Amino acid sequence: MTTFPLHTATVSRRSARTRQRVSGLTASVLLLAFAALTLLPIYIMIVASLKTGTDSETNPFGLPLHPQWQNYVNAFQSMHYLQSVGNTLIITLATAIVTIFTASLAAWAIVRYARRWTRTAYQVFVAGLTIPVFVVITPLYQVLQQLHLLDSYLGIVLAYSALTLPFAVFFFAGFLRTVPPELEEAAAVDGCGILRTYWHIVLPLLRPATATLTIFIILQVWNDLILPLILLSTKQTVTLSVYATIGTHSFSTAQLLPTLVLGVVPLFIVFLALQRHVVAGISVGAGK
Amino acid sequence: MLIRGRSALFLILPAGILFAVFMLYPLVRGIQLSFTNAIGPAGGTFVGFANYIAMVTDPTVIRALENTLVYTVLVVVVQNAVALLLAYWLFQLKRVRNIVRASLLLPAMMAFVAVGYLWSFIYSPLGGPLDLVMDALGLHGLEKIWLGDPQTALLSIAFVYIWMYTGYATTIYLANYLAISPSLLEAAQLDGARGWTRFRTIDWRLLAPSLTINITLSVIGSLRVFDLPFIMTQGGPDNSTQTLSLDIYNNSFTNFQFAYGTAVAVALLILTVIVGVTQATILRRREVDL
Repeated sequence: MTTFPLHTATVSRRSARTRQRVSGLTASVLLLAFAALTLLPIYIMIVASLKTGTDSETNPFGLPLHPQWQNYVNAFQSMHYLQSVGNTLIITLATAIVTIFTASLAAWAIVRYARRWTRTAYQVFVAGLTIPVFVVITPLYQVLQQLHLLDSYLGIVLAYSALTLPFAVFFFAGFLRTVPPELEEAAAVDGCGILRTYWHIVLPLLRPATATLTIFIILQVWNDLILPLILLSTKQTVTLSVYATIGTHSFSTAQLLPTLVLGVVPLFIVFLALQRHVVAGISVGAGK
Repeated sequence: MLIRGRSALFLILPAGILFAVFMLYPLVRGIQLSFTNAIGPAGGTFVGFANYIAMVTDPTVIRALENTLVYTVLVVVVQNAVALLLAYWLFQLKRVRNIVRASLLLPAMMAFVAVGYLWSFIYSPLGGPLDLVMDALGLHGLEKIWLGDPQTALLSIAFVYIWMYTGYATTIYLANYLAISPSLLEAAQLDGARGWTRFRTIDWRLLAPSLTINITLSVIGSLRVFDLPFIMTQGGPDNSTQTLSLDIYNNSFTNFQFAYGTAVAVALLILTVIVGVTQATILRRREVDL
């Protein structure tokens, strides 16, 4: 009599485990299907970019049987692609460098020299996070006009740096607070000056934060439309060239889709290469 | 003490100057500008609150405010609900976790401009892929001119934004899940807390930090929505996708009503601050309570 309940218990536990495994499998399949559905628009963009306009309107889903490479040649030329990529790289890298140096110097002083005025300075920087770009864009245009910096690399780099600064100060300060100051103090005892300590101790210490921040700056600057649209006129970034090529008029897919692919592929490559860092960057604050 | 007063000043100065000249000064100038009647870059004269008074009865601004708020609520609720569900599953299914997360994140790497054009093509009533799929599923009767119908245009744009950023939100929730000590959830499991019960009583509380981050990001992002309606509908049809940022752009840079456009922008700033502070207070109090 005593074995009977034990027996059913084992059976039911085993069937529960099988059921769990089956439901895990179902959930996995569902998730993979959901992921595939999410990627479908991107897939369509890529395959249909190699078709003629009429082909992609009747069947956008199938692989292109007669790839129209000419679509890409045309898009490449009308976007002035190499020039646009070059401009975007210059602006992105310069912004990253300016933001990272100015923000890390400021955050270092704010965290290690805690006084009322440095705390106020921090709050002013961080309040910048809430300012929508449209509040400052018109006066910013006027300021750059007065400084003769419209349509120049320097002008747009300074504008982007000011725009990304609040997040960078916030981010570096948050990171520095988790790091004990012993190393820097030891360097000071060894007779290292402020700038040498910064260069040899603080900057290397900040490297993980810097990597994450650089990815965010690349994403923001590369994908932005409004600043290049308003502050540049003869120079084009990649995203601006997508807009300038397509504009608001109607378009054939043979012209539209290759332009889009060329516009987004550089960041897809960055993402695939640095996926771990991108995920870590997005997760900051939520994970440990 | 390594950093003294004067060197602290010297370290903060470069960032301070950059921020003051290209952010704070334009902000102050912008607020000044909003009290003038400036058209184009020329100065204009002081008109007091005239722009703000005009705004309250401007049907386009009112419509834009309504649309922006509806869009924000829609995006915040749907995006976070879907992301939570996905993170809950991905946390348990280790084998598919990385591939699914990477796939869901990919749209967030695209420029709004590119996404806007891509979805204009997908929604197109003339051979757009969405209608082709619906035809194949026998749903022809449900098809709409997605971006051309005032009933569906804003929803269609909100859907695109959700498509772009749900993976981003999922990644944040998942990171929070992965930071929870496993023994805590195992203990819950042993106590018989499973599925929805466990989620409601345990996970939901432990996910408070990521909920705060996600709500903040999606609120700030959707209150500022500009690029998608700018590319996909230009605010139409019948102003049904007009948003505050789009209206600011049209006033300032299409009609060169610099002062009026900037006044609407200041109103958007005030709205952002009010919503931001309210929501930060609520969410932080909630985190403490838990």
